[in-house]
Amino acid sequence: MAVCIAVIAKENYPLYIRSVPIQNELKFHYTVHTSLDVVEEKISAVGKAMADQRELYLGLLYPTEDYKVYGYVTNSKVKFVIVVDSSNTSLRDNEIRSMFRKLHNSFTDVMCNPFYNPGDTIQSKAFDSMVTAMMVQAS
Amino acid sequence: MSIPDYMQCAEDHQTVLVVVQPVGIVPEDEFFRIYKRIASVAQVSIRDSQRNLYIRYRHHYLPENNEWGDFQTHRKVVGLISVTTCGSAKEWPQTSDRFHSQKDVFGATLYDSRLLVFGLQGEIAEQQRTDVAFYSSYDVCPDVEKRVEDFVESIFIVLESKRLDRATDKSGDKIPLLCVPFEKKDFVGLDTDSRHYKKRCQGRMRKHVGDLCLQAGMLQDALVHYHMAVELLRSVNDFLWLGAALEGLCSASVIFHYPGGTAGKAAGRKPSLAQGQGQAADAGKRHRPGAQEVLIDPGALTANGISADTSSEIGRAKNCLRPEDIIEKYKEAISYYGKYKNAGVIELEACVKAVRVLAIQKRAMEASEFLQNAVYINLGQLSEEEKIQRYSILSELYDLIGFHRKSAFFKRVAAMQCVAPTIPEPGWRACYKLLLETLPGYSLCLDPKDFSKGTHRGWAAVQVRLLHELVYASRRMGNPGLSVRHLSFLLQTMLDLLSDQEKKEVTQSLENYTSKCPGGMEVITLPDGLKLPPVPLSKLPIVRSVKLLDLPVSLRPHKQKGLLENNMSTKSPFIYSPIIMHTRGEERNKKIEFRWVQGDVCEVQLMVYNPMPFELRVEHMGLLTSGVEFESLPAGLSLPAESGLYPVTLVGVPRTAGNINVNGYHTSVFGVTSDCLLEGLPSVRTSGCMVEVIPSLPRLQLSTSLPRSAHPLQHSKEELSSSVSVQLFNGETQQLTITLENIGSEDLETLEVTSKTCNTKEKLFGEFLSWDLEEAVSQLPLKPGQSVTLTVNIKVRLDFSGGENLLQDLNDDGISVTGLPSSSPLRQVLKPRAETKPLGSESSKTDYNHVKTLEAVMTFKYSGGAGKVEGYYRDLTLGVHVDVEPSVFFTRVSTLPATRTRQCHLLLDVFNSTEHELTVSANNNQDLVLHASECQRMAIQVAKFDFDTLPQPDQEAVRYTNPKLLEEERLHTQASMINSTLGITWNIPSVRRQGEASVEGVLNQLVLEHLQLAPLQWDVVVNGKPCDCDIIADCKVGDAVPLEVKLTNRSKNAVGPFALTVVPFQDYQNGVKNYDLQDAVTFIGSNTFNIDTVNPTEDSVCMGALLFLYTGDFYLNIKFQDDNAGQGNEVPPSWFGLPSIHIKALEAPIEAGA
Repeated sequence: MAVCIAVIAKENYPLYIRSVPIQNELKFHYTVHTSLDVVEEKISAVGKAMADQRELYLGLLYPTEDYKVYGYVTNSKVKFVIVVDSSNTSLRDNEIRSMFRKLHNSFTDVMCNPFYNPGDTIQSKAFDSMVTAMMVQAS
Repeated sequence: MSIPDYMQCAEDHQTVLVVVQPVGIVPEDEFFRIYKRIASVAQVSIRDSQRNLYIRYRHHYLPENNEWGDFQTHRKVVGLISVTTCGSAKEWPQTSDRFHSQKDVFGATLYDSRLLVFGLQGEIAEQQRTDVAFYSSYDVCPDVEKRVEDFVESIFIVLESKRLDRATDKSGDKIPLLCVPFEKKDFVGLDTDSRHYKKRCQGRMRKHVGDLCLQAGMLQDALVHYHMAVELLRSVNDFLWLGAALEGLCSASVIFHYPGGTAGKAAGRKPSLAQGQGQAADAGKRHRPGAQEVLIDPGALTANGISADTSSEIGRAKNCLRPEDIIEKYKEAISYYGKYKNAGVIELEACVKAVRVLAIQKRAMEASEFLQNAVYINLGQLSEEEKIQRYSILSELYDLIGFHRKSAFFKRVAAMQCVAPTIPEPGWRACYKLLLETLPGYSLCLDPKDFSKGTHRGWAAVQVRLLHELVYASRRMGNPGLSVRHLSFLLQTMLDLLSDQEKKEVTQSLENYTSKCPGGMEVITLPDGLKLPPVPLSKLPIVRSVKLLDLPVSLRPHKQKGLLENNMSTKSPFIYSPIIMHTRGEERNKKIEFRWVQGDVCEVQLMVYNPMPFELRVEHMGLLTSGVEFESLPAGLSLPAESGLYPVTLVGVPRTAGNINVNGYHTSVFGVTSDCLLEGLPSVRTSGCMVEVIPSLPRLQLSTSLPRSAHPLQHSKEELSSSVSVQLFNGETQQLTITLENIGSEDLETLEVTSKTCNTKEKLFGEFLSWDLEEAVSQLPLKPGQSVTLTVNIKVRLDFSGGENLLQDLNDDGISVTGLPSSSPLRQVLKPRAETKPLGSESSKTDYNHVKTLEAVMTFKYSGGAGKVEGYYRDLTLGVHVDVEPSVFFTRVSTLPATRTRQCHLLLDVFNSTEHELTVSANNNQDLVLHASECQRMAIQVAKFDFDTLPQPDQEAVRYTNPKLLEEERLHTQASMINSTLGITWNIPSVRRQGEASVEGVLNQLVLEHLQLAPLQWDVVVNGKPCDCDIIADCKVGDAVPLEVKLTNRSKNAVGPFALTVVPFQDYQNGVKNYDLQDAVTFIGSNTFNIDTVNPTEDSVCMGALLFLYTGDFYLNIKFQDDNAGQGNEVPPSWFGLPSIHIKALEAPIEAGA
């Protein structure tokens, strides 16, 4: 499944980032960071008038040699990025979509926490375990 | 062809390539100066035609690339300009040879060439040659541009002829097969007569003609040719050339749609200026009406040839591609190129060109796809330099399409490539430079101010990594100063994000670097102009609050009252307004109430804490101030790991007067000195940083002869400089010697001493503290280092007696009140009073033993120096605390009339409450020895007091004071007068203490009245001698004894008239009085005297005479009869204290005989 899952704030700084091979975490930071260019481009490509009906799922942002990067943007411009292994061909678009939906639901729960300050890094255990569940079987 | 030209763009297809090269030894700067001038001729408008020729200049071109010139003619070197220096005619042949050999390098493709010779003069220079131009020097060559234009025109002529030549190739002729270098061997032995082969030749030639047309400025023709070439080549599956034809089509369309060019400024093309202007001016001309209508007619394409006359193809669809189609065609072309491994460079360049077009079209997503593709194009073994170039250009292109993060990523990769381990000489400088360029992509700004706004938000992991890389690169560059700056920045901005281990590592390496190059606050300017602002380490330690401290109490300056300037805030016209202008900034600039003094050490307290997991050593921590010359005295401190808030006091000495503003503080941590300004630290709480510094004042140090007391005064709220405490017995006097030393640097000019007894319920008699300042003042001005002494007498006189008890006792003592004149004091003492009312009862005793405290504050107001001129002074306060132990006190007081009317006996029950044996003595009296807790009665004969002689209170004061107070005042003065007359002292021999005992407290109205002289003063004179109770007047029997009664009225009212009756009697001393003395005493005249009304201050005398018939002791009692009984009560009976007169009648001398 996913090898890296990131939640990025409206202002494009990470709220949450987690990857499976811990030893090469920085690489995923770079990957997710550069993917933001594409995300921004995709958002801006959709006209302002269309913003309401815009689909949240952005699809494949870009493929690298080893990974595929998928994006998702909530209406509040919070971005979710999922990096999956290119070799994992069994994953289809629908599955990625459902992963994003799950992520979004969980993120909504985090935001509902009255003790969470929007803009802070996410430290919720529930969110963490959900992400872990999505990332298993990868290694 | 292995080296791609990443600078290429679509419009380069319409240019002709001219190589400008130096020949022989040409100074580099001179060459580039000439090159620039040549390159400025980037566009030449051809005479006789409306066409323009665009020239691309290169000073370096691989002959290898030239071989691809048939494939795309803009790759072909068609012109050569050589620049050479030739000092003398002798060198000329050699130079000429060199030029020719250089020509041979590109020989096959050259249309024309020129040689620019500099420095040669003489006959060779005078010969007119078209291909050589002579200039005497690099500075004198005004017609270089003209020459180049001529040269370009000649190229154009060749180009045009070639174009026409190729375009008019008849189908019958054999069309040569154009091919790229790697194809050559493929066609060996191919059937050249096959239709397929012919078509291929035709297609390639069409494409070639298209290229030539494009170069020659015939855009529409070129489009037509390209279209035809595409058709032809597609049919024979000649993919490489099909791709080239498609690309040519795209290029031509791009040139048509975007006359401004696609390279943009970012590409930094050399002939940018001249070309840009030329194109702009030319933009209108491009739309040639005739040419636009050149349309393709597929029907005109014969099966076996190319119709030469393109004009016949006018008519159907417009040839130019629509902008969106351009990209489609580019994609197609690139996919064809992709089929050939050897065409990698072409493919890559096509990608770059397409990206540039897309960037203009603002289609970033598609552009990124092209770039993504370009990344994967394998060009075989690339040298490290090429890799760097490739990554840099990728980064640049990503930047162009707005993918700044991607751009930064590739730039960073390029930077890393610069120092790859495989490179023998790593380019740390280049690496550093590239890394710096990535900063914006990672939204990192090297100005720490941007980070002070709040918590850090960004890609911390990535940013930390980048900063580490910067640090490392700058260190390897051999610039530890930069490393220090970057490390400080890392520490300052990313502190919260670093783990404890990282913190340790970073600080350790920072210390290593600073040992070589200490970090400072100067702005580091990099060679390329980038400025690295200083990084104050305001988080090491973190300062939470800054508080300016007032001077210690004893050094605080005060403004003279009269000189108080109107420093009420003049900002508002209102005295009071509920609207408080409350802004943070203002608060910071708010002036603080207190003042600092020039030359005195001033303190600022900071609350700091150490966020590091280890001990933090801060050195040279000092204050940054403005406004006043300030000598900061830096402090070093060591904060324990992750300490809590820790107070640090920074000190300094203002050297001049004025308003001082504390702007921040200065630290040196890990070898980095930082100036942390408060305005950049919003988290610092402060209650104002501006304080007034007043001119210098002297400083006094106070020392006393008495021990200092640790505990402050109980009743005083103010802060005291120092205080002394002493234990005294009531009534004791202690001398306190105060030494004042001037320890400042200014002369002490004025000194005032005041004292204030603290509010206490105790009734205090007499002056508590008294001193004489005259002597001390006479020594002023006091130079620094000198001292004066002042002796202060501490005198404690408190009332220890229980008041209520006493009054009761007094009232019991009826006898004394009514005052029988015959009662002798001796008898009173013997009366068993003490026994009936034992004073030793426990409860009362403890009361008396209670130690009382008395406190006072002495204030020494002094001034001098410049501060005095400004009206400032200083206060030194000395608290005096006295524990008063009861010594002796009077439990009861009463009076007895004495034998004389002008005197009376004061009876005092003296109680010794000390634990020592004690002697009490009074003026003219015997010492009375009292054992501990013993009570004895003491009788003192005192003359009655004339209180009228006491000074009357000021009329003014009387008017405004409470009458009750006045009364008390009066009582008090009377009492003190009595007290001073009595002069009762006590002495404890065992501890050598002595003091006074005061009766003031025990004297009340009643007693006072008794002690007072009656306002009516009676004087009785017998036989010419004034007579009183205890004086025995002598007289002789038979002689007339004159009796004179004189009344002096001292009261305020007129008194009288009175009638006085003299009654003689004999006292047998056994209680029997014999009044029956008609036969013993006779009056001469009346025994009644009449005194008329006596006005105040007057006196009246009445005379009478007595005749004693027998010898004996006689008493005369003068009785008073009030004549006007109605008003009798206005004169109290006590006023008629007439003495009883004791007359001893003696035997008359014999001769007188009875």
